[in-house]
Amino acid sequence: MKLNEFIIPEDLKSAQSALEKLGEKGFAVAGGTSLHFLGIVEKTAVDISHLGLSGIQKQGGAYLIGATTSLGDLMKFKDQGWVLDQVALHTSTQQIRNISTLGGNIVRVFPWNDFPVALLALDATLYIEGVAEKAYSSDDYFNGQPIRLFQPGQLLTRVEVPVLKPGQGFGYHKEVRLHAGFSLMTAAAVITVKSGRIDGIRVAASAGIALPARLTLVEAALGGQAADAASLQQAVANGTAALAWKGKEGMSDEYAAHLGRVVLMDVLSAALLQAQGE
Amino acid sequence: MNVKDLKVVNKSVVKIDSMSLALGKPSYVADFKPADTLYVKMLWSPHAHARIVSIDISAAEKMPGVKAVLYHGNVPRVAHCTAGQGYPEPSPYDTFMFDTKVRYVGDRVAAVAAETLEQAEAALKAIKVEYEVLKPVLSIDEAFAEGAPIIHDEPDATIPIPVPYEPLKNLVAHISMEVGSLDKGLAEADFQFDRTYETQYAQHTPIEAYVAQAYLDPRGRIVIVTSTQVPFHCRRIVAQCLQIPVQQIRVIKPRIGGGFGSKQEVLLEDVVAMLTLRTKRPVFWEFTREENFRTGRTRHPIRIRLRMGVKKDGRITAFGMEATSNTGAYGGHGLTVIGCCGSKVLPLYRADNIAFLGKVAYTNMPVSGAYRGFGATQAFFAAESLMDEMAEAIGMDPVEFRKLNHIRSGEGSPVFEALGEGKKGVPMTIGSCALADCIAIGAKEIDWSRRTPWRSKTGRYRRGLGMCCLMQGSSVPEVDMGAASIKMNEDGSFNLLIGATDLGTGSDTVLGQIAAEAIGTTIDKMIVYSSDTDFTPFDVGAYASSTTYLSGEAARKAGAKVKLQILNTAAEMLHLPVSELDTAEGWAFSQDGQHKLSFSEISLYSLYQKNQYQIMDTASHITHKSPPPFSAHYVEIEVDTWTGAVQVLNYVAAVDCGTAINPKLAEGQTEGGVLNGISYALTEEYLFNAKGKMINANLTDYHIFSMRDKPPIKAILVPSYEETGPYGAKSVSEICINGAMPAIANAIHNATGARLYTTPFTPEKVWRAIQAL
Amino acid sequence: MKNTRHLSFSVNGEAKEFLVAPDEKLLDLLRREGLTGTKHGCGTGSCGSCTVIMDGKTVYSCILYAFQAEGRAIETIEGVGDFDNPHPLQTALVEEGAVQCGFCIPGIVLSAKALLAEIPQPTDAELKVYMDGNLCRCTGYEKIEVALHKVIAAGSCGGAK
Ligand SMILES: Cc1cc2nc3c(=O)[nH]c(=O)nc-3n(C[C@H](O)[C@H](O)[C@H](O)COP(=O)(O)OP(=O)(O)OC[C@H]3O[C@@H](n4cnc5c(N)ncnc54)[C@H](O)[C@@H]3O)c2cc1C
Repeated sequence: MKLNEFIIPEDLKSAQSALEKLGEKGFAVAGGTSLHFLGIVEKTAVDISHLGLSGIQKQGGAYLIGATTSLGDLMKFKDQGWVLDQVALHTSTQQIRNISTLGGNIVRVFPWNDFPVALLALDATLYIEGVAEKAYSSDDYFNGQPIRLFQPGQLLTRVEVPVLKPGQGFGYHKEVRLHAGFSLMTAAAVITVKSGRIDGIRVAASAGIALPARLTLVEAALGGQAADAASLQQAVANGTAALAWKGKEGMSDEYAAHLGRVVLMDVLSAALLQAQGE
Repeated sequence: MNVKDLKVVNKSVVKIDSMSLALGKPSYVADFKPADTLYVKMLWSPHAHARIVSIDISAAEKMPGVKAVLYHGNVPRVAHCTAGQGYPEPSPYDTFMFDTKVRYVGDRVAAVAAETLEQAEAALKAIKVEYEVLKPVLSIDEAFAEGAPIIHDEPDATIPIPVPYEPLKNLVAHISMEVGSLDKGLAEADFQFDRTYETQYAQHTPIEAYVAQAYLDPRGRIVIVTSTQVPFHCRRIVAQCLQIPVQQIRVIKPRIGGGFGSKQEVLLEDVVAMLTLRTKRPVFWEFTREENFRTGRTRHPIRIRLRMGVKKDGRITAFGMEATSNTGAYGGHGLTVIGCCGSKVLPLYRADNIAFLGKVAYTNMPVSGAYRGFGATQAFFAAESLMDEMAEAIGMDPVEFRKLNHIRSGEGSPVFEALGEGKKGVPMTIGSCALADCIAIGAKEIDWSRRTPWRSKTGRYRRGLGMCCLMQGSSVPEVDMGAASIKMNEDGSFNLLIGATDLGTGSDTVLGQIAAEAIGTTIDKMIVYSSDTDFTPFDVGAYASSTTYLSGEAARKAGAKVKLQILNTAAEMLHLPVSELDTAEGWAFSQDGQHKLSFSEISLYSLYQKNQYQIMDTASHITHKSPPPFSAHYVEIEVDTWTGAVQVLNYVAAVDCGTAINPKLAEGQTEGGVLNGISYALTEEYLFNAKGKMINANLTDYHIFSMRDKPPIKAILVPSYEETGPYGAKSVSEICINGAMPAIANAIHNATGARLYTTPFTPEKVWRAIQAL
Repeated sequence: MKNTRHLSFSVNGEAKEFLVAPDEKLLDLLRREGLTGTKHGCGTGSCGSCTVIMDGKTVYSCILYAFQAEGRAIETIEGVGDFDNPHPLQTALVEEGAVQCGFCIPGIVLSAKALLAEIPQPTDAELKVYMDGNLCRCTGYEKIEVALHKVIAAGSCGGAK
């Protein structure tokens, strides 16, 4: 990584104007832990880590998470309807969690990134701020490389995640060889159960498939079905047939497809169990 | 000798360098970088197999800050072996400082020394190389196939001892033995087995990568400060490569950040020495982690075919092993590692008919070398897996089956005599052996009685118990040599000077304890200084599980000689006969308790008072035996039968290492070796692209366990007394790495019925094996 | 060096000024300042031997740009203890035989110190999570765990700064 220059701005506005002026020649650094993978060269770094964009607040039915909140803080935060601690707990190591940020995890997305999958399942809202603030649903935001949505000078400022309510359940799994490894298969699901039926379902996966995406066929197969294991099984079997699974770290695509289905069953079962109040 | 009477030995004294390391004091090679040092970067081959048609360094030489560029055109061409071993080596001289051919991705092409790392890196880009890319040989089968490309076609590749070496057939070594008749033994058996096992590429991955520096001392001699396990071999090999006398070179090994066998090679020192000679400047070279993986040494992948026969009553009638290893592009440890597949494994169980065939292939793959366990690791995976299969076939508990067959004190094995290192071995009768105790203690600790047959298990998650037995050696008999010198100071302290190499194992402490015990003083009076070719006596270095057993005996002998001098001086001072005197805890005293002198008084007398002389002596030691430590390992695992993922729940290693000189350090060796063995079994592997390039050359994608990943590991030291070792000691540090792979394989079988023959046991392999049932 | 810039941050409690290149890593800066207790092990934030504490939290100095430390407080192993007065963690690691080659140990000390400052009585699970970024290839972590549990039980680091 070759950097030409760095700027440590005083506040959000000066960070944005510096980035705007630099255009292609500048980029934001939050934790800086993914620069190694990005191969950025000959650019000017603008440090956005102390612009007051960190912290978690509960407001109404949602948590507002500052974009530069560290994964370590996400892991430590505890509340009834809060689930992102489970995701952070399985991201890399403490040294990385201490400094890397939620924003950094979801602006330039790799298949193995941990948070996009969870945010898709949770139906998060993402706020990009330039001159004015613009909100994106997770579906729009992750429908392609998010960086496409950013003009020079624009930053992700916060992420809004709904508080999980009674009757809702969350399931998450990241398959790794060892704890600190990159994901081989990630899946997350949120299920809402009403009168014994699946009233709402969002499920997303990544790592084993090209980029984080919702599995709409699985969702469609589950919507309105009886809230039981048989429905899940059938939905996973039918809803994943068209997916192009990719094996990583020496595993075959055939095994990846099998693993993907097992992991999906696991997250759906966990979400269902929680939704049913167990 | 009653171990209970020992004062310093068999005590967990604090490792003498540990506080300075915990405080972060400058200790390692990179901590002593001179301010005006030049930095080295190497241009590595991007091809697995290619000829260098042309190379132009002229632009690079003119780059800012560049002080020297080395390549095959401007250095001596000396065929040598990078592996540090006895001399002449039982290995081919197939390596050159730089060559006109590259033989694996990561082979040397040209080196740059520049004022900064960035300048050296920039200069690499200015070197123009034209390659003629050759067909690469990427497996054992390709190496031995008809019409295979020849990897070492240079006429100057030879072997310095008379053993088979056929580079034109990509054959590095070929050894065989047979006692009795394998065919006859198989014919006599009630059950016959023919199984083939295959192990993967793996690496030691010490947390400190390879690193070395060189500078000229004021008299123009080359001083090499390096992270090595073999300082004396390093000096000899660098002298050979540079064609200068050994006298011109001093090698210093400071603290080193782990080795495990990887640093038993001279991979950097010839280059830093040459660059220092050329530039007259200090030169520093440190491998990146990626370089460490691609260019550093690895564990030999080995294919092992076992043919065994067993009677219904549990007697083994035939034990045949055919081992073929992939040594990669250079053959430094080819012959010796393949030999140990047989010599360290076959003797463990009695059999009348034993056969061994070992073959080593050159390929255009990463170079294999010495790695803790040294061939026994791979072969024990095979042998101990098959032991379980045989036990199952005859309906015997695997523990009982091993108890029936394992070697005991007073027994020998024809294998000891048949297999040596490039020559015949040394016949040996087992002295100490507490394997039966290890088996019993380990079984109790894991609660083996809980073990139920795999067929009785149901559900997604299934647990299994597995075990194995192990042996290793202690030194290479009649080959290895170690020496120690001890010098007494005014305050009754002693300088212990040893050639032996502490690579983090604690050998400085252990040898200090042995010398202190022999002299009759305390550990805090020992100033241990090791591994400096100018100041310490010779030692072959840290390998072959030799340091405690071999160099320890040298330290004990030197201590005993110094004690005698102390007693003689005390006798002179006290006007008493020597026979009435003894030493303990830094005092000489008369046995009647009437007289006593402190070591300080004795030293002051000997240095300043009368008949002055330096109380000092030296001793060397060679061994005529390689007494095996023995061990029984037990593991409990859980298999997710849906995904094939294996989780280790609990691990027990009971080990007989004779007298543990320092029990905590011996436990630490065992625990560390076990965890390394577990990750070797489950998660560590080199992944390659189709052109032979490793693609996971970093510590996130190459998986070694963290504290969060590890299972509980219990090391139990089971005492025995080895008469030929210092205070009854044998080796401890290699044997422990060999158990996890077979024990886990056996546990997977016990959990699921699936039997794995290829490693590592990735979820996909386990899942497929379960599917195939 | 082109584009060198001044930075100021504290190291082991002492305010300092440094001249750095824009892409200099904190590890390289510390080591050239003579603070060689912080080790270079992998260069990719994977092994933990370069661990330092920044504003109370551990970071990998091998991937952290020096400028990211601007205005912060950095703590390295050199600030933790000395022969006369070792930190209880150092004493415990030494006494339990947890130091083999020792290359990972400064990082282990710093990770444990930061953990105990944040959670004086961690559960075993918390301990493992906070120590997961420091690889050791020698010990199998057994003796390291024993040493850390000993310090936790003694409460000798509880709330320590
Ligand atoms: C050893 C190691 C292991 C890792 N393991 C994992 C893992 O298991 N899972 C995983 O998901 N990731 C992993 N990562 C990758 C990385 O650490 C994470 O993705 C992390 O969340 C990135 O956050 P950061 O703050 O460090 O981002 P940075 O590196 O600072 O930034 C990443 C990118 O996002 C941009 N950016 C950051 N914040 C904003 C913002 N607010 N607005 C606009 N653009 C922004 C930056 O310009 C840059 O392009 C690992 C990294 C390392 C070094």
